[in-house]
Amino acid sequence: MTATETAKTYTIPVGPLHVALEEPMYFHVDIEGETVRDVDIRAGHVHRGVEYLTTKRSIYQNVVLTERICALCSNSHPETYVMACEQIAGLEIPLRAAYLRVVAAEIKRIASHLFNVGILAHLTGYDTLFMYAMQVREIMQDVKETLFGNRMDIGAMCIGGVRYDLDAEMKTYLSAALDKLAPEVDALADTYRRNHTILRRSRGVGLLTKQQAIDCATVGPVARACGLAYDVRVDAPYAAYDRLKVDVPTLLDGDVWSRAMIRVSEIGASIQLLRDCLRDLPDGPTRLPDRPDIPAGRAMGKCEAPRGELVYFLKTNGADEPERVKWRVPSFPNWDALRFMLRGAKIADIAIIVNSIDPCVSCTER
Amino acid sequence: MTRLPADIQTQLAAAAPGGVKYTSTTTQGVVTGWCDVANSEDLLAVGKMLLQLGARLAMVSALQPPAPEEEEDSDEGADDAAKPEKEIPKTFGGTPIDGKSYELDYHFVLGGDFLTVIAYVPAGGSIPSLTPLFRAADWPEREIMENYSLIVRDHPDPRRLFLDPAIDAAVLERLIPFSTLVNAASTKALWDKVLAAKGGAS
Repeated sequence: MTATETAKTYTIPVGPLHVALEEPMYFHVDIEGETVRDVDIRAGHVHRGVEYLTTKRSIYQNVVLTERICALCSNSHPETYVMACEQIAGLEIPLRAAYLRVVAAEIKRIASHLFNVGILAHLTGYDTLFMYAMQVREIMQDVKETLFGNRMDIGAMCIGGVRYDLDAEMKTYLSAALDKLAPEVDALADTYRRNHTILRRSRGVGLLTKQQAIDCATVGPVARACGLAYDVRVDAPYAAYDRLKVDVPTLLDGDVWSRAMIRVSEIGASIQLLRDCLRDLPDGPTRLPDRPDIPAGRAMGKCEAPRGELVYFLKTNGADEPERVKWRVPSFPNWDALRFMLRGAKIADIAIIVNSIDPCVSCTER
Repeated sequence: MTRLPADIQTQLAAAAPGGVKYTSTTTQGVVTGWCDVANSEDLLAVGKMLLQLGARLAMVSALQPPAPEEEEDSDEGADDAAKPEKEIPKTFGGTPIDGKSYELDYHFVLGGDFLTVIAYVPAGGSIPSLTPLFRAADWPEREIMENYSLIVRDHPDPRRLFLDPAIDAAVLERLIPFSTLVNAASTKALWDKVLAAKGGAS
């Protein structure tokens, strides 16, 4: 190559640190000029061997361990794990517990989605909106701290029910918090729908077609933004979701903006679900009276985590420790979709597109 | 979205000439089906059939089912020679459950229903890759290859997924003593400090 010639394509490293969030993932990006041609994803920076650890702990200890796999969807992990345990033991949880599981899940979903759409604003350089979204999210963080005593790992689940209860005072408090949250979320939704800066950076960016979404087996808001109306809460109802009306918003464009708008709409749907739960919450126990024995068996559990379908496989053999616990987090298949989203994108949009799948690296690598 | 068809058992049996054993449970209207495949080579044909049904491969689990524990002998050493060799239990397809065979569970989702196709492979065996049929099998199969010494045949990209190539193969098949495991995290530094403080005080 002479001094006047330049190579047509380059490979640049993106990551592993701080691509969009403070979690490590390493992208080898082939670029031509400013345009991404291909991407190779290299994972493993926070691989901790949690699946192995679950086989060294008792079935009950794993309720605590699984909550520590992830932060933003921390509640979904023990929720699905205990569902698998209950299936093996043939347990039916009290109705009040089923409703309280929905309450815990939807509170976590609102906080998780607000975080993601907030980061989108941050990555577009619209930091005022980022701060505003985080301030709105603080209402839900306060709710978590008040109801569960913690802002992230809420420790709400146990085999046979839940570990918390809502008395009249807490119900009034939660109801007031939702009244405070709802107009703020409407204002946020309006900004994301109409703001020029957001639209310029997110519309038509990071496109994923419906067929690609099916081929990659994507789930959650990533799939619903491509027109795939799959939501575990509706398609395979668990807890009290079969008694509640769950609104599943879908969009067809499959771009960064559609994925963000799905999340914004879901916040509204979650607020409605929480209000319905507060209205319908039946009296009764919050858990089964005794700590149940888990016999030998196998079960599948799945739930709709904030990022999509979370799947658990549990195999027990009558011993204290499970024989195998395996889970697949919603981010796991969604990474693959990034290859399609990033091809043809501009280098400056890489971070926004990566953030649009709401990736969870610690979940993916376990 | 299509759910698990009522005649799934017939369709599975037709796709797997080696034989299948199918059971299912229903919770809150959601069917969870389990299908043991006698011959792991039938896996590709079963995969093709499920792809046509519109199934999505949600997850692949791999494990080594432990061999049943030896029963304690009450009259130790009395008539060791006379006792017949204890027979190793076998799976439906004839794979010995000796603690070294692999169980591979392919968890498919149809609508909201689950169908888990289970194949067994004896130690040193191999299994065909499902990645040519399901893109979603790519990462799970790479993860299985780095955790166990099981060979996944015809995988288009058999690189390590999470573990660095410098790490020894088949980590889940090796016994790693706890002291070795925490070597990097545990030093004498604190103990030295305590001893030094004690020495200084006296």
